[in-house]
Amino acid sequence: MAAAASASRDDWPLALPLAALFIAFFVAPFVVLLSLSLQAEQAARAFSLAQYAKFFGDTFNLSILGSTVWLAVRATLVCMLFGYPIAWVCARAPARWQSLLVFVVVLPILTSVVVRTFAWIVILGREGIMNHALRGLGLVDQPVPLLFTETGVIVVLAQVQMPLMVLPLFATLSRLDPNLGDASSALGAGAWRTFFRVTLPLSTPGLVAGCILVFSACATAFVTQTLIGGARLVYMPLHIYQQAIGANNWPFAAAISIVFTIAVMIVIYALNRTGRASKAYGDHR
Amino acid sequence: MATIASEPVPLRPKGRPEGELRPLGGQRSGEAASVGGAHPRRQRTPWDLRSQQVIFGALTAVAVVFLVGPTIVVLLTSFTATESLRFPPQGYSLRWYRALLDADQMQAAAWNSLIVAVWTTLIAVVLGTVAALGIARSRSRFARAADVLFMSPLILPALAFGFAALVYIHRLGLHPSIPLLIVGHVIVCVPFVLRTTIAALAQVDPGLFDASASLGAGRLMTFRRVTLPIIGRGIAAGAFLAFMASFDNVPVSLFLADERTEVLPIHLWQQIDTNLDVRTAAISGVIIVVTIALMIVAERFAGLTRQLSR
Amino acid sequence: MAIEVSRRQFLGAGAAAGLGAMLPRGVRAQGKTLVVATFPGTWNEAHRNLLAPYFKKRTGASVTQSIQLATEQLAKLEAAKGGRPPFDVAILDEPQVLDAAKQGLIAEYPAAKSPNYKDLFPVYQDKWGPKISLQVIGIGYNPNKIKTPPTSYDDLLSPAYKGRVGLTALNSQLGMAFLAELNRIKGGNEGDFDPGFAALKAMLPNVGAVAANLGAYATLWQQEQVDIAPYNFNFVQTLKAKGVPVEFVVPQTGLVGWTTSLHLTTNAVEPDLAVQYIDSHLAADMQSEMEKPPYDIIPTNSKVPLAGAITSTVAKTPADLSKIRGFDWTKINPQRTALIERFNREIRM
Repeated sequence: MAAAASASRDDWPLALPLAALFIAFFVAPFVVLLSLSLQAEQAARAFSLAQYAKFFGDTFNLSILGSTVWLAVRATLVCMLFGYPIAWVCARAPARWQSLLVFVVVLPILTSVVVRTFAWIVILGREGIMNHALRGLGLVDQPVPLLFTETGVIVVLAQVQMPLMVLPLFATLSRLDPNLGDASSALGAGAWRTFFRVTLPLSTPGLVAGCILVFSACATAFVTQTLIGGARLVYMPLHIYQQAIGANNWPFAAAISIVFTIAVMIVIYALNRTGRASKAYGDHR
Repeated sequence: MATIASEPVPLRPKGRPEGELRPLGGQRSGEAASVGGAHPRRQRTPWDLRSQQVIFGALTAVAVVFLVGPTIVVLLTSFTATESLRFPPQGYSLRWYRALLDADQMQAAAWNSLIVAVWTTLIAVVLGTVAALGIARSRSRFARAADVLFMSPLILPALAFGFAALVYIHRLGLHPSIPLLIVGHVIVCVPFVLRTTIAALAQVDPGLFDASASLGAGRLMTFRRVTLPIIGRGIAAGAFLAFMASFDNVPVSLFLADERTEVLPIHLWQQIDTNLDVRTAAISGVIIVVTIALMIVAERFAGLTRQLSR
Repeated sequence: MAIEVSRRQFLGAGAAAGLGAMLPRGVRAQGKTLVVATFPGTWNEAHRNLLAPYFKKRTGASVTQSIQLATEQLAKLEAAKGGRPPFDVAILDEPQVLDAAKQGLIAEYPAAKSPNYKDLFPVYQDKWGPKISLQVIGIGYNPNKIKTPPTSYDDLLSPAYKGRVGLTALNSQLGMAFLAELNRIKGGNEGDFDPGFAALKAMLPNVGAVAANLGAYATLWQQEQVDIAPYNFNFVQTLKAKGVPVEFVVPQTGLVGWTTSLHLTTNAVEPDLAVQYIDSHLAADMQSEMEKPPYDIIPTNSKVPLAGAITSTVAKTPADLSKIRGFDWTKINPQRTALIERFNREIRM
């Protein structure tokens, strides 16, 4: 690596065109958004914290923020519960099956989110197959309302975003040095202990990456939240949309957007710190 | 608490066949305590490992059904002969697919989405590849910062960015239009190209560049003849992902695509939100089939699954 | 090398396709496109299935119909004020017309350019835009699950229907009109909505779901998640045609309704086409088509006799129609935002 560094020039200027585009069309809009949120009204350009006061002063808004974060957290946990086994099986599978499994995992994320959410509307309804199955299995007597409930939203979010959990986990798990597992068993640890003491901690980077991606995606999943939640369940994305497009209250919508962005960033930062605490020293590739 | 073995640690047999299951922990089930003689601690592991395999296998099976099920449901529902969206459908027919042929507005929206996706992918590939070359092997602070910046659209709420873009456009005195929509899509889709291309670049042996340079090739020629063929599949995989992400994008299109520049996902969302039209199922069926076909192509030519698991 | 060649070809083909497709709109062989707004539910379907082909035959132009509630249309027009409006034809309910005119969002309707305008009943002619129909609300119920048809809105409070009542949010005219009517029945008026909200709160234990829009409402019915709810006459007919078990019944307190009208937006991009579109909706043959099931849209053209489910359920003659009660929207409009916020706060499941 040292030889390469001396032989080739540092090519960082190549990133300048894209950086210019990002600054002009990603950073600048957020700056403008921030400045808009600091206006008392659409027309007035004077600095004012009125919009933020309005947001934080009303428990309605705070409850929307809280329920959005809590929703994303729960959906992420479900993704972890089901995503980890898939990634684990994927990493252990022979090459032929691996491709097929990754294909199956990736297909949902590439199919339009509207299409996938629409499928769930058919499945989750009172007379939908979910309820038929539950009643058939004798688990419930009355049809369980799943559509337009928070449980329904969590279920659909988990399915729609699960590939985002599986892929980073799979990448990390497939890079784990199998010698470590063997060493663990050679030292007398059973399969479960090895899993919890060796595999799981070593897969933390992939797990954290997956959690970050899934959490962010679930928090901002406008289509799923509105189609399955029925828009009676108002989360931050719909709140922003309603204020921006429905009520034409751009300064307030800007404030909500900024608060939302910062909230997501805080959670991601926290997840990142957790991840950094356990370095991946099992990476042998 | 590790118990010290009283016998020498058994070595992994050399020449293990490629395709066999490699346990990440614990022994292979059923393996007799052959190498080096009998070991008392080996007898208690099979159920341990077996239970792990069963539980993980069961969870995986449920998860796979969970992942794939809805897609199949939509596909089957689209073939219903009735006007309702019940599943299983009562009667099968192609009438809703035929109805798509008359769906002028849906076709127009699909066409808009296609144009936007093609342009987005082109721009994202060009800018993204160049940027990836710049930051993949650079150690400068700028490169690190640029990396974080370019990846942030994947993590920050895309809806907030969409609205910010709309506000920004208005501040500049402009109105939503196809070119501006394309720029918005490029921002949220270029991270895909960057990720796969950077991963592909990481696999390239730096010695190749030294060799190429010492043989007299200029930077551009080195890129064309050495780098590009190696990372080509990575770029192609990223391009595919960017294309699908743009075609499917909702949060940015929600604000930057107005009534005069309608795109398919927004049109479908409106339809689902307000109608129980079975044509939605039919167009969904088309989208699913096209996605699968494109994925197979991407797998064949770009090794998609390999690129995603780097 | 194989990869290089195929990639270049792909890029080249893509660029060519993209460039070709990005030529100005006029190049597309279909001709011009008119962008209009339409309401969800029956309206969207009638407009898409009947009006768009009729319009295309008449003018050769195609139509892009954006599904939006009246309140959303106003917001979008307001946001684009001074420039190009996002659509050329707006469809509004009675409450919104006054606001739209006052804010300069819609233009006066050039009746001279509209041959079918004179055929409308005088009460439906308006300088800001002709009325295309009257919408009425009553009670919808699932005849499979509810054997005795309900007779009044008070039935929604009956414990027999616990968890099976549906409501819709106030951003739609259905929700607003229902609240206004409930309020009136319980003794309130346009100035005082407390009785109405009290009644809604009392209804909450019965409510199975509150839909924010009419599409979600329709889904609830199809999935049989609600069995009884306030509903538009038209939408019930359309759902019935889709095989959803639902019937419409006129409450004892009578029908309430409001007019719906089409308008030319200010600074419309294709004003002539827009007028032709609106005029097409006024035509006698178009309105009699729309009167048929599954749309059952009440006609406003004097040459179209009332027929079908309209005569059996709503009104036998145009004179009956004029007896249907409305509201004083000038009093309710200023409270709209406050009412919506109050609803969102108090009526939560």
